Amino acid sequence: MHPHPADSSSQEQTPPHSETPPPGASHPVHSMRQRVRSGLQAVAQAGVALLATLVVAAVLLALGGHSPGGALGALYMGAFGSWNRFVSFTLVQATPLLFTGLGVALAFKAGVWNIGAEGQLYAGALAGVAVAVLLPGANPVLLVPTTLCAAAAAGALWAAAPAAMKTRMGVSEVITTLLMNFVALYFAQFLVQGLLQESRGIFNMTDEIPAAAELPPLLPGTRLHLGFLLGIVAAVALWLYLTRTPGGFRVRAAGASVKASVVSGRFNPRSVIWLSFLGSGAFAGLAGWTQVAGITGRMYEGFSPGWGYTAIAVALLARLDPIAVPITAVIFGALSAGGGAMQREAGVPEVWVRGTEALLILAVLVVDRGVRAASEKGHG
Amino acid sequence: MAEMAELTSFLVAAVGLATPLALAALGELFSERAGVINIGLEGSIIWGALGGALGALAAGPYGGLVTGALAGGATALLFALFAVHLGTNQIITGTAVTIGSLGFTGAVFQGRFGATGLALELETLPAWQLPVLSRIPVLGPVFLDRSVTVYAVYVLVPLLWWFLYRTRWGLSLRAVGEAPEAAQAAGVSVTRTRTLAVFVGGILAGLAGAHISLVHTGTFSENMSAGKGFIAIAVVVLGRWKPGGVAAAALFFGGAEALQFALQALDTDLPYPLFLALPYVLSMGALAGWFGQSRAPAALALPWPR
Amino acid sequence: MPAARLRRVTKQFGAVTALDQVGFGLAPGEIHGLLGENGAGKTTLALVLAGLLSPDAGRVEIGGRPFDAGNAAAALRHGVAMVHQHFSLVPRFTGLENIALFNRGAWTRRGAPAPGYRTQVERRARELKLDVDLDVPVQALGVGSQQRVEILKALMSETRVLLLDEPTAVLAPPEVEGLFAVLRRVATAGTGIVLAAHKLDEILGVADRVTVLRKGKRILTKETRDLPARELVRAMVGDPNGSLPDVMPAATPPRIPRARSFGPRGSARSPNKPAPVASLANVTVADVTTGTAGRQALRKVDLTVHRGEVLGIAGVEGNGQRELAAVLAGVRRPDSGTVVLPGEIGWIPQDRTREGLMVDFSILENVALALHQDPSFRKGPWLDWAEIERRTATLTREMDVRIPRPGAAVRTLSGGNQQRVLVGREFLRGGDLLVAESPTRGLDVRATQAVRTRMAELVRTGNPPPGIVLISADLDEVLDLSDRIAVLVGGRLVPAPPGNPARAAIGKLMLSTGKEAGREGETGANKAKQPARGKGA
Repeated sequence: MHPHPADSSSQEQTPPHSETPPPGASHPVHSMRQRVRSGLQAVAQAGVALLATLVVAAVLLALGGHSPGGALGALYMGAFGSWNRFVSFTLVQATPLLFTGLGVALAFKAGVWNIGAEGQLYAGALAGVAVAVLLPGANPVLLVPTTLCAAAAAGALWAAAPAAMKTRMGVSEVITTLLMNFVALYFAQFLVQGLLQESRGIFNMTDEIPAAAELPPLLPGTRLHLGFLLGIVAAVALWLYLTRTPGGFRVRAAGASVKASVVSGRFNPRSVIWLSFLGSGAFAGLAGWTQVAGITGRMYEGFSPGWGYTAIAVALLARLDPIAVPITAVIFGALSAGGGAMQREAGVPEVWVRGTEALLILAVLVVDRGVRAASEKGHG
Repeated sequence: MAEMAELTSFLVAAVGLATPLALAALGELFSERAGVINIGLEGSIIWGALGGALGALAAGPYGGLVTGALAGGATALLFALFAVHLGTNQIITGTAVTIGSLGFTGAVFQGRFGATGLALELETLPAWQLPVLSRIPVLGPVFLDRSVTVYAVYVLVPLLWWFLYRTRWGLSLRAVGEAPEAAQAAGVSVTRTRTLAVFVGGILAGLAGAHISLVHTGTFSENMSAGKGFIAIAVVVLGRWKPGGVAAAALFFGGAEALQFALQALDTDLPYPLFLALPYVLSMGALAGWFGQSRAPAALALPWPR
Repeated sequence: MPAARLRRVTKQFGAVTALDQVGFGLAPGEIHGLLGENGAGKTTLALVLAGLLSPDAGRVEIGGRPFDAGNAAAALRHGVAMVHQHFSLVPRFTGLENIALFNRGAWTRRGAPAPGYRTQVERRARELKLDVDLDVPVQALGVGSQQRVEILKALMSETRVLLLDEPTAVLAPPEVEGLFAVLRRVATAGTGIVLAAHKLDEILGVADRVTVLRKGKRILTKETRDLPARELVRAMVGDPNGSLPDVMPAATPPRIPRARSFGPRGSARSPNKPAPVASLANVTVADVTTGTAGRQALRKVDLTVHRGEVLGIAGVEGNGQRELAAVLAGVRRPDSGTVVLPGEIGWIPQDRTREGLMVDFSILENVALALHQDPSFRKGPWLDWAEIERRTATLTREMDVRIPRPGAAVRTLSGGNQQRVLVGREFLRGGDLLVAESPTRGLDVRATQAVRTRMAELVRTGNPPPGIVLISADLDEVLDLSDRIAVLVGGRLVPAPPGNPARAAIGKLMLSTGKEAGREGETGANKAKQPARGKGA
């Protein structure tokens, strides 16, 4: 029996895929030497983008009447100044960005424009809290994996509606995932004021989760928790999946060309899109719950400072390569951790950090555009 | 009588909250009909709010309205420079513009007024009380005793409709958003049309921002746009990409927000966050075809040339 | 004074000369047929004449003056309009809006709609007897109606020259009659019309003069009145007695005898023939691309292909070729009929850069695209990249692929090298069936030779040899490589008439409307008689 990977209408109904690919959407993978070479090129491109950002930021700081050297120095000291600053602040801040960044990288690799990591993060955090609160007295060996699974499942579930609308009706996921962010935000508000509100019923937040659900510290004496290690493991696993397995290959192929996937790959890109959507949501869900279980201990209104959106920058700077996401997550974690120090030490408002993040995204886009234009010119 | 007063004050709040949404969403409608989804609209709003505040300090509230609109337009032009001219991904570029605008407006504000967040007090835009008509019960105070920004929405809705459906420029603009190849064949410059559409959209979003600082609050604070740029995108969806529909959808979103305040004030047990979520759920429904076919412009978010 | 004139126009696309010093004249009020096979240069000539392509050498004159418009709206101001094969309509605009988009100056006065415009359009439609619904989005209209919108759009202003590229390809026969009636009226009013087409009898019925192009050269221009169809066919497909270029390896195994009949019955009568590797019986596929309700892309197609043979499917593109390939490759289920396919199938699709290859990926990954589902390229759950790399190295060596640098993206390869990668990869699948769609289109002579040689080798010496279905509009290619030939016309598969030389008879069948051929196809009868001889001779 010959497999029919797509039904008769697959070529017509496959969702549109023609947005500009994000940087790194399709960089080739090959033998060791070539991999080193393309890796070096990626590092060089990211380096150019980082350098350009630093220069522009320094100019803007100077224009704003600040000393660029002082500001950047304070930022650096705040992020990397001591072992404790690095571990308890930079790495801790990097952890949710690591997970959401992986989710965004997976989705974008598959050509899925999931900008709903923020909402999926909330869904994951809420599900984790709900399970932890509903199962009091369970022992950690049981509770930690259960809550992690619940969070991943909830994040995936939050991505399911946009996934269904994209694959079945061809509705662009850009708008639907954005809408779902707000639904999640208000749903979380509703829960922390109602069903999940702390027992005294005063503050809009949940009870503290039971100790058995907490993620244990990774290094004694620091705030760094197991979540960071899980994130690293997830990054390696996703990298292996995308580069070494047939399924991961299909994800990248579907992201590169839906038509070629059907005609030459003989698989149904729709199921790949589903899988990437759900996987992406699951990573974001884990981002939310590991933050609760490792740091905050509870959920509250305005829980995320926009990790789901910063994740786009994290994934882009990593050129959607999961193995590079931990590095870029740490860079953004450092920006976030150093921002406070910059304000205290150099008197430069912390909001400069967010501006710098934006500059970095634009720089990555422009560098990639330039490289693409150069390669087209060279071979066109 | 007391109920009437409550209803009136609820509606006054609803229209007030709907106005910036309507302005921004009409702007987003404009650029989306030309095929550009501007997620950076939030950036135009926050720059509009800050530009409005700074302008008002220098040249009074009406001057602030002008500077706010220009600040919003300039932000949108920055977005267009990347997303339309360089052809970078519209979604990522828009996200960057939003994040950056939230950051840099904060930096400018703190640079000017200090990190402590000195409470800035601005002269607000006065209400224009229409003679006689404003005395009609309920309708008068709700619709006809408002600031110029509210009246701007009344004018903009038919104006945009006329522009989009009755002028050659509107025809070209819609063609660019639906089938850029066909538009180009008809001698329309896709790049120029899109740039202008995004710019006009940014001006309207800037007005929305100026409304927030110069009408709604009389001050500026960081992040005061509070996601209204994203909400505007949802409003456009629920309004099915038509000016009248967008205004109605904005009123609906504004009503849901006003209801939240009303319920909080009444101290009821009603779960008001769910009311806030409702418009978004309905927007999802609109995309899923609950209210009949509703489709985005065919070339939305697609770069040109391909 | 002629309405339009080309003077020694040359146009090149890369290595391909689409027009080679072509001269052409169009008189006012004449309908001028432009004939030629795919790739003969018809469309290029029309685009140059319409001012949408600038010639590399030579001159274009409209009404005696040099002309270079750049875009369609500007051309329209000079009185030149073109109706493309793929309409340039905005799908969600109404007919009126689409017409207005091209005539914006007339539609609006100082920005506001001119009140009389609609009446003006309606009047013009009445004059031309064009039945057009102006208030429905054109995407809801059938292809014929869309075409009428397109024609009305072109004729709203004073039009000197009207160019139509394959206007009948998408139309049902009664619509064709209606179109021609309109064109005659337009011509009577003084407009010169150029009608690019490949259906001979249609052109002969409507055109005053014809010009035949072959491989970018003008072969003849004559009045249709005293022109036998046979002469036209000869002009289009070349000398019927010309020798075939020898692309087969010198020592080939004995050829499988060319079958005299075609289809399942035919194969049943030849007991010593190798086993069939794939067959279609009574297969019908709806046409979803043009959206005309009830139109079928494939109609009751019967086909059997055997191990070790090349079945050539000749025919002009757009007659069901894409759908036939998709059905044979197993990615498209027919709406009715029976399909028997082998487990693994190679497919060289027509659109190599979008369907065949992922141009931003390396050669290695493009090879993996075909092999990643094959268990022999796995190690446990992992892809065996080392093995895929070995196969890729063999492929690039055997197909003589020139790579700018190892690991380069396929985008950076020349068209010929891309096709070598694609062909080699589809061979690597090791399938029992290989579907090759226009495998040498756009390639230079060397690459063409290489691809053809490799296909010929595979089918003779493969282990085991697959059956190959070669779908191509290039009649030379089909004749060179095929053991048996059928013609796909109007969605029906008709066996090639026997006889040597077959070229003229097949060419004639390819250029027929498919109606008479279709009746034969439906009966599924053996083809002792020659179906194409009925008309036009």
